[in-house]
Formats: sequence, C-alpha cells, structure tokens
Amino acid sequence: MAKIIVVTSGKGGVGKTTSAAAIATGLALRGNKTVVIDFDVGLRNLDLVMGCERRVVYDLINVIQGEAGLNQALIRDKRTENLHILPASQTRDKAALTPEGVEKALETLSQEYDFIVCDSPAGIEHGAQLAMYFADEAIVVTNPEVSSVRDSDRILGLLASKTRRAERSEPPVQEHLLITRYDPNRVTSGDMLTLEDVREILAINLVGLIPESEAVLRASNQGVPVVHDMDSDAGKAYADTVSRLLGEEVPLRFYGYQKKGLLSRMFGGGRR
Amino acid sequence: MSLNMDRVASAFTFKGGMLPMTVMELTSADPEQIRAQLAGKVSQSPAFFQHTPVVLSVEQLDEPHLALERICAVCRAHKLLPVAVRGGTDPVKQSAWALGLGWFPPQEARPRAVEEAPLAAAEPQPDEAEASSTPAVGRIYRGTVRSGQQVTAPEGDLVVVGAVNPGAEVLAAGSVHVYGPLRGRALGGIHGNRQAGIFCKELHAELLSLAGNYKRLEDIDPRLLSQPVQVQLRDDQLNISSLG
Ligand SMILES: Nc1ncnc2c1ncn2[C@@H]1O[C@H](COP(=O)(O)OP(=O)(O)O)[C@@H](O)[C@H]1O
Ligand SMILES: [Mg+2]
Repeated sequence: MAKIIVVTSGKGGVGKTTSAAAIATGLALRGNKTVVIDFDVGLRNLDLVMGCERRVVYDLINVIQGEAGLNQALIRDKRTENLHILPASQTRDKAALTPEGVEKALETLSQEYDFIVCDSPAGIEHGAQLAMYFADEAIVVTNPEVSSVRDSDRILGLLASKTRRAERSEPPVQEHLLITRYDPNRVTSGDMLTLEDVREILAINLVGLIPESEAVLRASNQGVPVVHDMDSDAGKAYADTVSRLLGEEVPLRFYGYQKKGLLSRMFGGGRR
Repeated sequence: MSLNMDRVASAFTFKGGMLPMTVMELTSADPEQIRAQLAGKVSQSPAFFQHTPVVLSVEQLDEPHLALERICAVCRAHKLLPVAVRGGTDPVKQSAWALGLGWFPPQEARPRAVEEAPLAAAEPQPDEAEASSTPAVGRIYRGTVRSGQQVTAPEGDLVVVGAVNPGAEVLAAGSVHVYGPLRGRALGGIHGNRQAGIFCKELHAELLSLAGNYKRLEDIDPRLLSQPVQVQLRDDQLNISSLG
C-alpha cells in the first residue's frame, strides 16, 4: 500500500509544484517506487518542471473518464528509475475530476507504488480539497510572509476536517511544514517572517527549509528537478527534506544570515 | 492497604475517580435504527460527537444476545467511543469483555425521571445533574483555532486551551478565555450579556467585542499587545487591562 502525500498551501506561487517534483524525485532516488500526480487541471506545469511536457499523451482526466488506462497515461521519468508522472489536463473542465474517479485511480496506483505525491492546485476549493482528501500525509508549503502563513493555517484547518481520515475518524493526516523561498538576509532586514514566527503560528512539525535559490529557476527551466543538482543549496535542502520524510533526523541548514561578500570570497561564488 | 507497593520504582498509582460519563440508554438493539438516530443527532450537535466516551446501557433491552460489535462500530462511526456496557445477560457481559469493554452491573431502583429522560436531553453535557443546577453550559476547546475556523459556545463560556490564529473567530454567550495567544477575533456576550469578559495569555487580537461593543486591533493601546489581559465592558466601552 502506497503512502499518499499531498503537497498543498492555499496560496499560489509558493513552490508547491517545485517541491512536489523535487520530493517525488528524491523519494525515487532513494529507491522508493514513486508516482507524482498533477491535480492542477488547467494550469498544468508539473510536466514542465519534470521535463516531460513533450511526452504527454493522456492525462488524469482521461483516466478518470475511462478514455485511457493508467498505464497509458503514466509517463516514465527519463533520469530517475522508479519514478512516474501522471500529468493533469490543460484543456478539460475541472469538474471532470470526481472524488470517485480519483479514489479509483489512487487505489490502483496504491497497489504498485510506495509513494503517491499529489501536487495540489492553489486555493481552498474543489481541486485543492480533492487533492488532499485521500492523503495520509500533507506537506504544507509556506513562504515566510504573512499571507502565505495565513493560507497555510487555513489549509491545516481543512486537513483536520475535510479529509477522508477526518471523516472516518481515522488517525489524522500527518502534517509537515515545509518553508520555501527562505531568504535569511530578508529575514534579518525584517522584510520576512522568521523561521520561529512561522513555526509558532502554524504549530506543526517542520520537515524542511528551502532557501530562495537561483538553482530552482535554472532547474525548472531545464526541466530537471532541483534535487538532481546536489551542488546547490536548494538541492541539498530538498534532499534533507526527503530524509526527514523517511524518518531520519537531519539537522537544519541554510537558515543563518549570510554575509554576502565574505562567503563569496571564501567559497568562490557563494550561493548557487 | 496501599496499592503503591514499590515506592522506589513506581510506574503508577491507583486512584479512585468520579468522571462524568454519558450513558447511552438503548431502547432498541437494532444497529440500523441506532445508526439512523445517531446520524440525525450528529447533524444537530456535531460538537458533542468528538470521540466522546459513552457507557452503553442495555438494561431496558430484553434480548439475551446483542449485536454488540456492530452497535459499537456504529457508535465509533459517529465519533462516540463505547468504553463499557451496563446491564444485560451473562452472554452480553462476555461479549463486552471480548470486545475489550468494561461491564457494569445494572443500576437498581433508578429514579424514574432519569430513566425516562430522552437521549437528546442528556446529550450536550455528560453531567446532566450538575448541568441543570448551572444554567449556562460552557465549552472547552483544546488545540489551535485556525484561520477560517469558528468556535462557538452558544451558551456559557468558551475556554480555548491553545492559540486563536489570525483569521479565526471565537464566540461565546458568556466570557471567552484563551490560554494561549489570541491573534484572531474574540466575541463575548454574543446574546447581549454585558457581564461577559475576554481573557487571554497574549493579546494580538484582530477584534475584541463584548455585547456588540468592539475594538479593532488599530484601537488597542500598543503597550497592551503581547500582554496577558482581561477585557471588560464599562459604560459601553471596552476596557482592556493587563493581567501581568
Ligand atoms: N526556493 C526557491 N527559490 C527561488 N525560486 C523558487 C523557489 N521555489 C519556487 N520558486 C519559483 O517560484 C515560482 C512558483 O513556484 P511553483 O513551484 O510553481 O509554485 P506553486 O506550485 O505553489 O504555484 C516558480 O517560478 C519557481 O521557480
Ligand atoms: Mg503549482
């Protein structure tokens, strides 16, 4: 039976898709059979970040409507063994995403995979609720700013009430906080909330801290999830996150103030 | 005699305790009928069904055998946790034990009033007897009240053991007590009770309101922020004072 992990946030543009791609890839690199599903119907971009946009034939909605089998829609990742992508539709109506259809697809995938990672659309409506409904664990992606924290808080309320686990009074969805686009220098200057501020308000376990990094932009332009770039700070931070998800204890890094000039001189280039 | 025999490495002590407990007096042994009635109750007062422990009383039933396992499953599906069975035949006792439930002997010569009290009357508060002498029944909420959530005590006080986050709202007919940071909106005396107050460990509230009179975050003296405070109504004005 696969573990179903939803990557969610409420707010858009905080790094859900980046994180879903990196974490799914990281899980697969560690030998877990993993599938990552794009629930963002209409705005699909997981396939871009995963670099498989030219190989999309069928999508999640085709599967749900019985127009294609799961095996026809699943795309095998070119770089990473054990990794598949189930893309979203760019053209179809969101309403085609039914709970029954999603449940059936997840059930079938559960037999085959160790992890199912669901990339949620933004918002708190139908699509986001459906992406989280069947989850065993949730990664709540949050930027260190007031509006993102507020939206994550909202999502945590939904995870506790609007999921299958909540409705069946099973053990609750396990919640993890993933702080992304963290810029220590902007935190020090007071433009951003501190790590402690965010943790105090959301009051859930921190699974990772991803620094603001050019490597992310480069990675998504190339369609290679950033965990493959193990020289980069973001790549390392996502790898740490995956380790923690797998139950390992890994110390936190990349949260300190960076004295730009000095570090650049010492390491010849500084943060990549 | 002391049950606490090993003083050096004692893992526990036994203590007598009287806990309030809801008794679910079954008048039907049919799990489906129980399910139907529970489903209706859940929609009327969802707050009651929060893994509430209940004792299943089967004293009024004549059946020598009960579908106890199915009845328990129906209860659990509606967030009631059966912890014990009261009354019934020996086979009922045996199956209670087999299901990991306790068994209590039937209560003899119980007062008629309680016997005839419909389930609905016993619902909101387990300690029915005390509840009738205390007019307003409050509510205790444990955990973080998150953005978009609303927690209400329609009668009596609301006690929140945890934080009330920005974008969350807590309301009470009586007073609001927050044992944690109050960052959202707090409204006391929502039916007009002017004696109601608001108390919190750390004031960051977006809005404070008592009996319809309110203060916004902007109107609050910044020196009071982050402080433990109490809020009372004085001459139609909210008066905030430090508790520290
Ligand atoms: N750690 C990071 N550093 C720099 N840019 C980032 C980081 N994480 C995400 N981004 C950028 O932010 C934008 C939104 O990210 P995306 O993952 O698509 O967010 P979402 O799926 O939540 O809408 C993208 O342009 C992405 O490259
Ligand atoms: Mg996205």
